[in-house]
Amino acid sequence: MFVPHSELDLKKMFDELKINSLDDLFTHIPDALLLENGLDLPESLSELESIDYFDDIAVRNKSDLVCFAGGGHYDVYLPQTVKSLTMRPEFMTSYTPYQAEISQGILQVLFEFQSLVCDLTDMELANASLYDGATSIAEAISVAINKTKRDGVVISSGLNPNSKKVINTLIDRNKFNLNYVELENYLFPSNFEFNESQAAFVVSYPHYEGSCQDLTTLVERAKEKGLVTICYVDPSMLGVLVTPGQMGFDIIVAEGQSLGSPLSFGGPTVGWFATKKEFARLVPGRLIGESRDKDGNKSYVMTLRAREQDIRREKASSNICTNQTLNAIGSAIHLSWLGPEGMYEMGYHAIQKANYMRKQLIKNGYVIPNDDSSLREFLLEVKTDAAEVINKMGDKGFLAGILYDEKHILVAVTEKRKKIEIDHYIESIMEVDNG
Amino acid sequence: MVSGGNASSLPLVGGKPEPTIKELSSPGRRASKFPKLDVPEVKINHESLKKERARLPEVSEHDLVMHYSRLAHRNFAVDLGFYPLGSCTMKYNPRFADSIASDTRFANMHPSMPEEFTQGCLKVYYEIGNYLCEITGMDDASFQPPAGASGELTGLLIIKKYLEVNNLNHKTEIIVPDSAHGTNPASARMAGFTVVEVETDSRGMVNIEKLKEIVNDNTAGLMLTNPNTGGLFEEEILTISQIIHNAGGLLYYDGANLNAIVGASRPGDMGFDIVHSNLHKTFATPHGGGGPGSGPVAVKSFLREFLPGPIAENKDRKYNWYHPENSIGRMHGYHGNFLVTLRALVYMKLLGKEGLDKLGAYAVLNARYLSSKVSKIIPLAYDEPCMHEFVASVKDLKKSHKIKAYDVGKALLDKGFHSPTIYFPLIVEEALMFEPTETQSKETLDDLAENLKLIVDDLQKDDTVLEDYPKNLPVGRPNELIPAKYLTVNWGDFELLEITE
Repeated sequence: MFVPHSELDLKKMFDELKINSLDDLFTHIPDALLLENGLDLPESLSELESIDYFDDIAVRNKSDLVCFAGGGHYDVYLPQTVKSLTMRPEFMTSYTPYQAEISQGILQVLFEFQSLVCDLTDMELANASLYDGATSIAEAISVAINKTKRDGVVISSGLNPNSKKVINTLIDRNKFNLNYVELENYLFPSNFEFNESQAAFVVSYPHYEGSCQDLTTLVERAKEKGLVTICYVDPSMLGVLVTPGQMGFDIIVAEGQSLGSPLSFGGPTVGWFATKKEFARLVPGRLIGESRDKDGNKSYVMTLRAREQDIRREKASSNICTNQTLNAIGSAIHLSWLGPEGMYEMGYHAIQKANYMRKQLIKNGYVIPNDDSSLREFLLEVKTDAAEVINKMGDKGFLAGILYDEKHILVAVTEKRKKIEIDHYIESIMEVDNG
Repeated sequence: MVSGGNASSLPLVGGKPEPTIKELSSPGRRASKFPKLDVPEVKINHESLKKERARLPEVSEHDLVMHYSRLAHRNFAVDLGFYPLGSCTMKYNPRFADSIASDTRFANMHPSMPEEFTQGCLKVYYEIGNYLCEITGMDDASFQPPAGASGELTGLLIIKKYLEVNNLNHKTEIIVPDSAHGTNPASARMAGFTVVEVETDSRGMVNIEKLKEIVNDNTAGLMLTNPNTGGLFEEEILTISQIIHNAGGLLYYDGANLNAIVGASRPGDMGFDIVHSNLHKTFATPHGGGGPGSGPVAVKSFLREFLPGPIAENKDRKYNWYHPENSIGRMHGYHGNFLVTLRALVYMKLLGKEGLDKLGAYAVLNARYLSSKVSKIIPLAYDEPCMHEFVASVKDLKKSHKIKAYDVGKALLDKGFHSPTIYFPLIVEEALMFEPTETQSKETLDDLAENLKLIVDDLQKDDTVLEDYPKNLPVGRPNELIPAKYLTVNWGDFELLEITE
């Protein structure tokens, strides 16, 4: 399928190659390695049959739940303009812009993406994307280790637990000491002492639990000891939050799903990476620069290529090659669609609605342990088993949140949630959570 | 001549630059609109809230759509023309797969949902795992790695963990051919191994004698693509496999070139212990301008316990996640690139046994045919039958006429084709690497060869104008030194530079 050749074409091609059949193409492969009867797989389906086939799979998903889950992936409104424009075949079916002259479209969108990320976070240089939020943190830690040549890493425990697992896989724990610092009352301890054996300070903003704090002083103190400070930020809240750049961070990384990508069961989404220009030569991944051609025309081109694996091989700053360009394009278009007011409203509505929800829950006898420090996401203490509550809430039409521990559910509220959904959520949870 | 793959009619119009979205911004404009706040508004005091608005462009929706559509116009793509970029398998991406991946019952699934809610997604992973294992001849697969390079790193971490568990920590050397993709040595270094290069022989294959010299008790494994990056099938693969295994090392298959052998031969039968596949290449998911991809890793059963999890399994007619007992850990925040994986499964279903059995053969047919045509214009690097791609070299033309691979690539752009991969593999001087894929017609292959002949003839006639190519595109060759030297990577940087200079 999708092979264009007619019998006549095949005959002409076989003649050119002086062969008689497709099998003759493989006479140089040892017989023992050739499959005799082909693959043991089902017959092909037509498109029409495939529709039914995949419909049967899709109905097995509980896809109609009202989503109160977050943890880095948020059910924000994804405008049709983003969906339509990212489906443009010129964006979808091209590859890495190695040939700049016929790739100015991708190059300029990525340049705009880099610039938008810098403006939003108050940084100077962003790359053209990494795989996701979790792998971006690991890449940032590698940059800090390469920069400082130190072997300790201070990591806030208030990080997405899966991100911690990715860090533990990608940073060699035989060589580097990963010090996970517990939060105190859902905040990073403000009196934490950094020292000169440490390469990096990694902290989530807001914390995974939804609490948020001003990190300016901690950043200052970490920098005094020579640490590289890394902020893992929820980018969809940057319309209302003080930026990581304003707090003095050296590197910001983010899970960019909430800007430009559907939830996608976690992938493909996009990892953001932005930093100061002094780190430019340590940055992982692709970087697009603005230049001119010989006639003075504005033109964009991949730059600082000497960091990358195809040139530098084992000395490269990272092994990344294929990245998440299409999702980065989605981020650029979504940010442009939002503008300053939309970005503000998206964040402001989310925290107003989350605040309303917390107050209603508390009014109805629920405990929110981080009520005073949380914004759009918070921990809900349940009376029965949290996993059970999430399951039963599914029957009521809700994704109640993310299982945090036996007693707590992590609840996220986006600008998309309606008051009536929040009210129904509370009624439903009171019904199912009665131990 | 006329061909379906020639894009010289493309409306890449106009000599004027496209402004940036920031230059199109005007205060007070906006595209977004949200519903009115429907909860009682209260004053929220929190130390992390700011007063000012984010610095973002202010544009109308029509301006935004026109801008990004015009940028799309300024980009070549598989949907526009022939894209013979070697090593990247730029084949047709079926539209139908997009429609399944856009179905909200897949696209809107939150990744932290319990298994009971996500039986459809788990079934997708379970099914494609079976397809992939059958195609590659392996026993179990993980779809955690979001791209090929991540798959390579996964494979190497599996080797490392396997060696640790078996108290073979002295095995620290990974052998990589000098023709390998740059990701191979980069991944090996990231996994903490020392990289040892093995030479390629004059036929373009791994030099067996040199390999024997290099292999020792410290050998942890070998990374290899087969066919290799010269587009040649490693005919001595069984001997290579024996040499590595006898030394207690493992064999890693870089799936970059899997398209050549699908349905014809399987890495698992060649002795490979670990295989990564690039779903975005072999299984036709769109490359997205540079990504996303998906780089699942499949292993023989003795390595199953080390795979990154979670992995979908089917027990008692229910799908669930399992975590291998000695897993290397997670390679991705959630489940890898799910929607890419889903598209690949759609492709496999559409092709079925009939299509997949012949996939490699048709890919090789097109490459062999094109190589036959090209060899009459530019000498090939190796005098061996090619598989799905082949390498030509203009080193003689460089000596006689100063013509570089770079120039030939740029001139092809003017003719409505994407350039082949240039300067790779590194061991071939002035290399041009063509991979036509199985979805291009005979006319398109002929057309490319015809245009290549015109180019080489033209360039030989007048070698003073080489740097003028391409001539028909909105911009000529960008000056690559300016951004590298002055870090003009953010809007405003270049203007600032002009003021200071």
